[in-house]
Amino acid sequence: MSTSAVMRTEDLWKIYRTGTAETPALRGVDLEIEEREFTATAGPSGSGKSTLLHLLGGLDRPTGGEIYLDGQPMSDLSKDKLAQLRLTRIGFVFQAYNLLPVLTVLENTAFVLELQGVPYRERLRRARAILAELGVEKYADQFPNRLSGGEQQRVAVARAVVSDPAIVLADEPTANLDTKTSLDLIDLMRRMNEEHNTTFLFATHDMRLLDRVDRVIYLEDGRIARDERVR
Amino acid sequence: MKVALRYLVRNRRRTLLTLLAVLIPVYFLVFMFGFANANLRDMFETATRFDTGHAQIRAVPTKATGAAIPLMRDPSDALAALAEVKGIEWRTVRLDLPALASVGDRSRAVHVQGVVPEEIGPVSALADRIIAGSSLTAGEGGVLVGEELAHLLGVEVGDEVVLLGAHPETALGAIREPVIGVYRAPEATLGRTVVYADLATARQLARSEVAATAIVIRVAGVASPRDQTTLNRVVRELRAALPAGYEVKDWTELVPMVATYMGILTPALAIVAGIFFALGGLVVLNTIYLSVLERTRELGLILSLGASRGRVVKMILAEAGVLAVVGALGGALTGVALILVVEAFGGIPLWGAAAEFMREMGMSSVLHLSADPGQVALAAGAMAAVAVLAAWWPARRASRLEPMEAMRYVD
Repeated sequence: MSTSAVMRTEDLWKIYRTGTAETPALRGVDLEIEEREFTATAGPSGSGKSTLLHLLGGLDRPTGGEIYLDGQPMSDLSKDKLAQLRLTRIGFVFQAYNLLPVLTVLENTAFVLELQGVPYRERLRRARAILAELGVEKYADQFPNRLSGGEQQRVAVARAVVSDPAIVLADEPTANLDTKTSLDLIDLMRRMNEEHNTTFLFATHDMRLLDRVDRVIYLEDGRIARDERVR
Repeated sequence: MKVALRYLVRNRRRTLLTLLAVLIPVYFLVFMFGFANANLRDMFETATRFDTGHAQIRAVPTKATGAAIPLMRDPSDALAALAEVKGIEWRTVRLDLPALASVGDRSRAVHVQGVVPEEIGPVSALADRIIAGSSLTAGEGGVLVGEELAHLLGVEVGDEVVLLGAHPETALGAIREPVIGVYRAPEATLGRTVVYADLATARQLARSEVAATAIVIRVAGVASPRDQTTLNRVVRELRAALPAGYEVKDWTELVPMVATYMGILTPALAIVAGIFFALGGLVVLNTIYLSVLERTRELGLILSLGASRGRVVKMILAEAGVLAVVGALGGALTGVALILVVEAFGGIPLWGAAAEFMREMGMSSVLHLSADPGQVALAAGAMAAVAVLAAWWPARRASRLEPMEAMRYVD
């Protein structure tokens, strides 16, 4: 095991049960995500990409196996501890419904910092700075519904990185975006990765994005089919 | 709090509905309490000012006297003891005698009340109720009859009435007195039966120069039934100070029907208030629950970003709290405003049968309203508390959402 792994899984299983029917989504996944890596997990729909991200992010519990964040197992953590972990160590970018519609772009970006208890001025300063880096500062005082999908995802990325998490997990962040906007967003995430040393793991089924990452983990039927270093 | 306020602004219709669910019960309760307050005060005033006083010193009965009040042959020792008790605002000596009033071939069983005119003046509304002739003057003689009795006996001011005293503890006394005035009683039964006379005149019927049946007292600081504690304290002190052979009865013993009505009214109001609170609480619960359901995905997002369950509960309760406080304040203010407006116009006058009924009950035919700050605060505070409490369940439910399930929620 690498000593610089931010996240590690051991024989990770997730089985969804509906009545007596069992649907395995992940079947014994072992992987390590290194610090500062810019990694994509790719595969067809139903391959287990989103499930893997949700488990890594503590949004769901595995059926079997273990997840380690910074070397600490996550399975023993209570719901509140998991929430605390998400708040302080993990950034999220979701496919849709990313931003709170009642908060402005600036407030959305600063929301995680507010949850962390960062003082008002400090959190606004940090939020403005990251919005500026991502080129959406001009929308700071607007509500999300005034922004395009790509701009909203930029704000979501800003919110994910503003608190300097150990890892940012992005579940199909480009799924609702056109090709150019998708590439721009991935480039932006890449820039955050390089300039802030933020570790990224994102799920995608868009093969055009994969030449921009360090590593691609291909999933098929809940198993790692290939784990390739691109760069 | 900012998120809570923004959600309230976003869902204006629901916010308004929730506000009204809090505001309306408080508004009605303030109005209802206002009416009950004035009604109770009116009854209390009628009972204690015109007739009963806050309390009376009477002789302990030594033998059966029927409906007649036991006679105090010489109340000077009781008066001396009374003078030593603090807190007595006013007192007067009264002689109540069962009697027969006759005019020609008409006669009626009546109740002669001998009073000291210059003493009852400051507290009794008797002088204001004279509708013909004049009121009593000390040492002048003459009697006052109610308009109902005047009609039954067929007398007018200036006619003479023969009164036969029939107290079981005195010898029979008889007097012939002119009717010097006719009064309008607050209650028709009183108007048919009570004949007012100067104390000295009444004592002729009892064939005694010092006899009395009651020393009627009013206690300082007692203006409504809520001041019963003050009254009880003075009554206790008075009982301790009086010589043997006397007892003290307060108004609740002297007019038990009024006290019973008041006793029933308070729990009845509490039940009505409870119903209002329950209905308001249910509406709040429903609207907050719907609001939670409507933004399940957003709550899922908040939870997935790492908000604690306590934080989500606080957020929902903050929304409910704002609505509860604003609604309760709004209800209290509009309720009090309505009371002030009604009172500025002199109350709500009743007419026809309703007015007659109120008069028969010894109450004013004008409905008055009176806001009690304590009650207004209680109604508003209780409703606000109920509203926040009602939001607890939806808030708890919101906090227990599974983040991913909530984000996948489709309404």
